[in-house]
Amino acid sequence: MKPRHLVWIRRAAQALFLGLFLYLLVETRLPQDVYLDYSRAFSAESDLRLDAPVAFFFQADPLVALTTLVSGGALITGFLWAVGVVALTVLLGRVFCGFICPFGTVHHAAGSIKPSLKGERLLAANRKTPSQRIKYLLLTGIILSAALGLNMAGLLDPMAFLFRSVALAVVPAVGNGLRSVFEAMAASDYKIVQLLSYGGEVLVAPVFGYAAQAYQTGWFIGLLFLAILFLNRIRPRFWCRALCPLGALLGVCSRFMLLKLEQNAEKCSGCNLCAKHCQGAASPKPDAGWEAFECLMCFNCFNVCPEDALAFRFRWAPAFNRGPDMGRRAILGGLFAGVSLPLLGRLDGRVDKVEDPRLIRPPGSLAEDDFLQTCQRCGLCMRVCPTNVINPTLAEAGMAGFWTPRLIMTQGYCEFTCTLCGSVCPTGALRPLSAREKTGRPIKIGSAYLDRGRCLPWSGNTPCIVCQEHCPTSPKAIYLKTEKVPRPDGGEISVQLPYVDLRLCVGCGICEYKCPVQGLPAIRTISAGETRSPKNKILL
Amino acid sequence: MSFSCPMTRRESLRRLLRMSGGAALAGIASAAGFSSASSQPPADKKFIVEAVGRTDGYQVKDLVRKTFDAAGGIGRFVPKASVVAVKPNLSWARAPQFAATTHPEVLRAVVELCQEAGAKQVRIIDHTIHDARQCFALSGAGMVAKETGADLVFPRSTLMREMKIGGSRLDAWAVFTPVLEADVLINLPIAKHHSLSTLTLGMKNWIGAVGGNRWALHQDIHQTIVDLAQFFKPTVTLVDAVRIMTANGPSGGSTADVVAKNTLILSNDPVAADAAGALLFGRKPEEIGFIRLAQKQGLGTYDTAKIDQKKVGV
Repeated sequence: MKPRHLVWIRRAAQALFLGLFLYLLVETRLPQDVYLDYSRAFSAESDLRLDAPVAFFFQADPLVALTTLVSGGALITGFLWAVGVVALTVLLGRVFCGFICPFGTVHHAAGSIKPSLKGERLLAANRKTPSQRIKYLLLTGIILSAALGLNMAGLLDPMAFLFRSVALAVVPAVGNGLRSVFEAMAASDYKIVQLLSYGGEVLVAPVFGYAAQAYQTGWFIGLLFLAILFLNRIRPRFWCRALCPLGALLGVCSRFMLLKLEQNAEKCSGCNLCAKHCQGAASPKPDAGWEAFECLMCFNCFNVCPEDALAFRFRWAPAFNRGPDMGRRAILGGLFAGVSLPLLGRLDGRVDKVEDPRLIRPPGSLAEDDFLQTCQRCGLCMRVCPTNVINPTLAEAGMAGFWTPRLIMTQGYCEFTCTLCGSVCPTGALRPLSAREKTGRPIKIGSAYLDRGRCLPWSGNTPCIVCQEHCPTSPKAIYLKTEKVPRPDGGEISVQLPYVDLRLCVGCGICEYKCPVQGLPAIRTISAGETRSPKNKILL
Repeated sequence: MSFSCPMTRRESLRRLLRMSGGAALAGIASAAGFSSASSQPPADKKFIVEAVGRTDGYQVKDLVRKTFDAAGGIGRFVPKASVVAVKPNLSWARAPQFAATTHPEVLRAVVELCQEAGAKQVRIIDHTIHDARQCFALSGAGMVAKETGADLVFPRSTLMREMKIGGSRLDAWAVFTPVLEADVLINLPIAKHHSLSTLTLGMKNWIGAVGGNRWALHQDIHQTIVDLAQFFKPTVTLVDAVRIMTANGPSGGSTADVVAKNTLILSNDPVAADAAGALLFGRKPEEIGFIRLAQKQGLGTYDTAKIDQKKVGV
């Protein structure tokens, strides 16, 4: 095969897998035209499920599989894909980074489309530097920390990073921007402008939906994404070279790979083209030893060499490649971090002493300790939630739980029969539930409390039964008693007063979401009473 | 989205006429020359039809057809090449057996009858309370739309428009505009219990045709229902009482609250339709606040004996 073909195959694969990633991301939602066969619903309850295998890239990610295994002691569904990726790496090196990884493709594009660096500066930027050891530090820290009970892989795992950035920052930001344009057009008095607005809205709705989206810390997720992308303008694929823990893991796996770069120093004319095009800063030029573990298998050097001084060949004779240049300090630093983080992460007492009342986890969540061992903070549950109630945490779950999912009931509510979040979770931090189990057992995620000072009927202001009307349980967890209460003007008013029956309340939060007292509602949901935590139980 | 100066009803209708029927892309096709007949109920005689399915295993579809036939046939209400807006109650993401939403077979039969009558387009329109996707999926409306080819209009902010309601309590409110943009408007409520207004029937179904801060309507529920009922004027109301929810309304969630009545009520008098619906629950119509108020304001009569009454069955 000619090298030119190989490079085009790589580009095609990169486009294909990035496209697949984005397609699966878009499909991580309940479509507008979803329906169930209601004639079957009369006899048995069936659940809404997504058709697309939306967790595929997480299943193919060896770092997700490995950290979940060492921390939670469980193999994730579909982990064989990850085994396949490791096998591929052992044979062919980091082809995953060069051909498949969608985040790698994004960096590749950000660095090489209208490149900011040329000539000597590009050559200097592509020289191997000690910063490339940082990723081994991060990998060591992540794996050791996971083994000791705190799985932070998702903060830096490329699949989780990209999914979170696109799903929680890029898509909602663009979608909200488009929506404000459509709303302005729909308010116009010109028919044609209104029709354009309706038409445009229908066109973009499959990707952006019809409703405004909001995600706590979304701005920070987006800024971080932009910053990481910008770094490619200073050093191409900075993320892949210096930071990516998955790249480090695959680099270690490529120790024995059979596909090797053969450098012929006699043919080399010293033009430096190979080094200028190298994506991994892996020293392809024959005057230096090729760094197999840094090589992203982009085949650029092979392609651009005018003298045929470089060639990738299979060498079946078992021979070690050059070992990864991890740096002893980087590994020691990683070990210290790996031990320290799980210990420091518990110091806020969120796991051992007292739960944060605002930390309402999605239905089917594991107990907090197990949850922190398995959650990848990828944002799949947040993206798929039809009511936009699931958000990334800021401080509610402590440092250890940064960006893990949390329900914000002023922003949405947990639909009583909906079990989508658990059905998409790649690692099982949210257990897959059936609607029957969720509503029948029932699974409680918290409980609601009345704030009588704020409540409209309790404060004698006006009749209102909105919380009771929306309560989804049957019989309703919110019940009414008709009583006379003093009115602000001194008279009396007969109103229906709401009460909460804690035995029936599941903490879905629709009462809080729909309460007319907006912002800080008169009925609020806290995590107390959640099924997943025996410590957080209220009633015997 | 709101207008700084309040509009008159005439002005708002004029604006709407200019807006065309475009509820979605599909609406563009029907943009040319429609008239908002929904604001002018048929001037002909008031009637009420009560149809009961008496035999075991009767088909809901047959019952719906019989009901319309007793009133003179669907063609009396749905002219050829008309755009029909059907307003079922799909508020809650509940499966049909819980009787929180309009029975999907009733909805299907109505859509199919309209199509048989030669309607150009049938739109299923409801501003749901739960997430619309889940409501449409679980209530069966999504499947009915898919199988009959009716348009299922997805509620969204661009389709809400502040309008002059002209009620005694609601002066202006955000209206879900596709409800008005049709030649024929069929109100298709389910009869069920409601913890504040006692019952949910036809007139209360208009709360699902408006946007805005709907929770505030509960502060004077009977008057706001009547205010909306004098604004939305359906061609006919068909109350689905195939099965009714007798407790824990409006959302329910237990089949223990559901009673089979196998009944449909069709009327061009919205007050009479609700009155007949109330009787199914064993309630006197004049005991229900919004029915009493509606008659007082001249929207119709709850004394069904005063109008042309028919009873049919299958």
